[in-house]
Amino acid sequence: MQNSVESKYPKFAVVGHPNKGKSSIVSSLSLDDSIQIGDTPGTTQVKRGFPLKVDGKIIYELFDTPGFQRARRVLAWLNKQEPVSADKRADVVRAFIFEHKEDERFRDEIELLEPIMEGAGIIYVVDASKPYGSEYEVEMEILRWCGQPSMAILNLIGEDDYREQWKSALGHYFRMVRTFNPLTTTFYDHISLLESISQLKEEWTEPIKEAISVLEGLQQQKIEQTLNAIVLNMKKTLSFVYKESIKGQKATPEEEVVLKEKYQKKIINYEKRQRKSIEEIWNHKSIEKVEDSLRLDGVGLFSKESASIFGLSEKELIVTGASAGAMGGLGIDLLFGGSSLFLGSIIGGAVGGIGAKFGFNNLYEVKLLGQKLGKRELTIGPMQNLNFPYILLGRALYHSSMVAKRSHALRESLKLDDKNFYTEQIIDSEMRKKLEKVHVLLRKGDTVSEELWMAYKESILKSFKTLLS
Amino acid sequence: MQTKYHKITFKSYFDFLQLLQSYVGTHEENRIFALKQEPLLNKPKEILLLWLNTHAFRAPKVVDSEKFLSYMGIATNFLGLFALIVGFITGMGLLSYSGQEPINIIYYLFFAMMLPLSSMLFSLFSAMSKGRLFEFLTLLSPLYWIEKLFSFFSFKEQFDLFKKSIADNLQKWIFLNRLQLLSLLFSIGLFIALIFIVVSQDIAFSWSTTLDVDAKSFHDFLVALALPWREFFPSTIPSLELVEISQHYRLGVKLDHSMVEHADKLGAWWRYLAMATLFYAIVLRSLFYLFSLFKLQKVLEQEFLNLDGVTRLLREFRTPFVSTKAPEKEKHLDIKEEQKTHVKELIDTIDDNYHNIVGWNFTSDEILLINDSKKLNASSINSVGGNHTFEEDESVAQEAKERVLLYVKSWEPPTMDFIDFLEELIANKRVEEIEVLLLGTLERGYSYSEKELAIWNRKIEGLGSRKVWVIDAK
Repeated sequence: MQNSVESKYPKFAVVGHPNKGKSSIVSSLSLDDSIQIGDTPGTTQVKRGFPLKVDGKIIYELFDTPGFQRARRVLAWLNKQEPVSADKRADVVRAFIFEHKEDERFRDEIELLEPIMEGAGIIYVVDASKPYGSEYEVEMEILRWCGQPSMAILNLIGEDDYREQWKSALGHYFRMVRTFNPLTTTFYDHISLLESISQLKEEWTEPIKEAISVLEGLQQQKIEQTLNAIVLNMKKTLSFVYKESIKGQKATPEEEVVLKEKYQKKIINYEKRQRKSIEEIWNHKSIEKVEDSLRLDGVGLFSKESASIFGLSEKELIVTGASAGAMGGLGIDLLFGGSSLFLGSIIGGAVGGIGAKFGFNNLYEVKLLGQKLGKRELTIGPMQNLNFPYILLGRALYHSSMVAKRSHALRESLKLDDKNFYTEQIIDSEMRKKLEKVHVLLRKGDTVSEELWMAYKESILKSFKTLLS
Repeated sequence: MQTKYHKITFKSYFDFLQLLQSYVGTHEENRIFALKQEPLLNKPKEILLLWLNTHAFRAPKVVDSEKFLSYMGIATNFLGLFALIVGFITGMGLLSYSGQEPINIIYYLFFAMMLPLSSMLFSLFSAMSKGRLFEFLTLLSPLYWIEKLFSFFSFKEQFDLFKKSIADNLQKWIFLNRLQLLSLLFSIGLFIALIFIVVSQDIAFSWSTTLDVDAKSFHDFLVALALPWREFFPSTIPSLELVEISQHYRLGVKLDHSMVEHADKLGAWWRYLAMATLFYAIVLRSLFYLFSLFKLQKVLEQEFLNLDGVTRLLREFRTPFVSTKAPEKEKHLDIKEEQKTHVKELIDTIDDNYHNIVGWNFTSDEILLINDSKKLNASSINSVGGNHTFEEDESVAQEAKERVLLYVKSWEPPTMDFIDFLEELIANKRVEEIEVLLLGTLERGYSYSEKELAIWNRKIEGLGSRKVWVIDAK
């Protein structure tokens, strides 16, 4: 009997003894941090497929499976059957599955053998930080009966290293033995492992190559999206201005403190939102962080009071006065048939403008029907501290690189409290020079040209890529 | 009824703007949408409009764009009517003739030609400027100040809300377009006034200047100004003779004899003034208006594509959606709290003699080594599990009695294979007590971790047998 249900795309079943890091490996390879990973054996109770899909088309599928529980009984059953030639052994395994489908005792074995007998390649996981034991041979023997292409992964869960011992034993059963630590794996390790997997079977080479190219494209997309999120936050934060009306002619110290707090809160929230979006980009949705919050107490916020009358700024009011004066003067010029050489307009404009300038503050006190005509506002921002943009950018790059490099198998908190790292190592003086052009414009509230943004992004990208590598 | 958007208009721009502020969909949804519209993938405007049509119902109606645009229309119509009336009144004022003093051609030409030309030049300069320079230039335009009146309208808040979100470049062209329209209407008002006065009154024109300009030079100047139409309408150009007789001297009597004699000819100026108004104030302005209209549409389309979220949408339309996750959710395992009711200290048992010492997955040599290291001994020492057969294991379980010490590898979690063996031991009535001793690796002196102890204890507890204990040997 041939593999009648063999699919068109490659499948891989990650199998092994309980608690050897199968789920961690699947978690890191499927970039999914929601998979339950536990110390308790039997955390994975049923097989679970993790397909790599591109626009709904499956390129390959990875199966997380429960560990072997009664391997000796399975092998004993297989051995008890009529002796068969090697090419028929897989049929005996199928017969075992068929016969024990409803047998609760073999639930875990059925769950792990099913995908294999449906054509999945075998990825056998062992903990190479613990010594080899002959009891594993039973499991490896069962897998050999399945007749599927297979490889072994040496996972180093603990501190000791028994890889050589394992390699000598595994070499008898598997064509390929690779070390892969899901907790410290990088994108490049992931790709390298896929390249190894592609060697297991000729038919799988092309789909896995396609998968590698998809994952490389996805990585590139994530880098770009991260860059955009960082730049957007820089733009929003550095040009952020907070305004609020004040009661008196001058802001009280209390009013100033309250407004500064609101300004700071807003900037801190901007950073929090940026971090969340970056974590989502990199598929780390359940991440817990140990971090220092952005502190703005010492950076000296820029604040100024500005008044407005009917919503006109001082500049607008001066131009209004000057225009009105000039129009009046123009009437006089016309009256003289232009013989006044537009002196009337010039003088009128100047008088109007200067009048408006000096009258600006006085107008504030004018009352109309018991209401003040003008309103006084306290404005905070944009941030004038020269170092602040670099602190902000350094924090963003540090956080982004830590998130981007973090394995999806990790369940411990992400530590982001290394201040020295993000202030010194990420942004050097050369990069500062390039970035400063944009920061100056943002501080002034000026528009930044597209070309400058491009150059800005490029500098940040370069730094981000360095951190990633 | 749901509005359908077929092209980029202000309504579609405003609705899209509002929709994008609240909904952009997920990459998966957007890619699926794009794949269904594959021929449109390289036509961003079309596919975005289609996306807007599909998701328009999700947009929160913070501002009703239809109402807002109708308010804007009313405001523009009101301003347009105002400009038309002001143009008409200005024309009536410039052309008012009491019969005492003729109408000054130069005054009229200033409003019909010089003012529009300089205003068009200003528009051109504004169109080319941007940022703060444009902001400054708008302050010079009456329209800017008239728009301040909007703050007294009921839709002021809606207007401000939209203005905040509309791109600067688009605001600039909305402003310039409205400026051209209002200027055009002002000029039309001026032209109507001219025709109305010519039809309803007998007026005389003259020209006058303090400067040393003779009739010939003035005539040449007028002919030069008439360049655009003089070939087609030569009769509208005043003759040199007419220019001479219509020169007005401030030191002469109010109307000199020669002017009175040629009164019928002096009225012929209106044709020239009408053509000057028509060409400089209306035709040229119409061209400016049409250009601004064209440019406004272009900028609208460009800003439609520049809206926040559009780049992401287009990227998601074009980028294949990659998913690596499991389609179904994982059932999370309930882990019971550890009780430690089956744990006892090794120190209590160390001096005891066991009848059986059984090593699970240990070789006989390994068991001997452990016994030596732990100073333990027993009447019967056996190795089970691993490569042993079930029959061998069964026989060990059946022959065991009294107290049994069971060695297990601490780092290997208890499998059901082990539990099966343990249950056989428990079932053996001659066995009084089974003590499970966790052993770490030889290199680490057989020490094990708290975590490993907890795992084994949890499993043993689960059996609910009073015979089995886990020994804490630390």
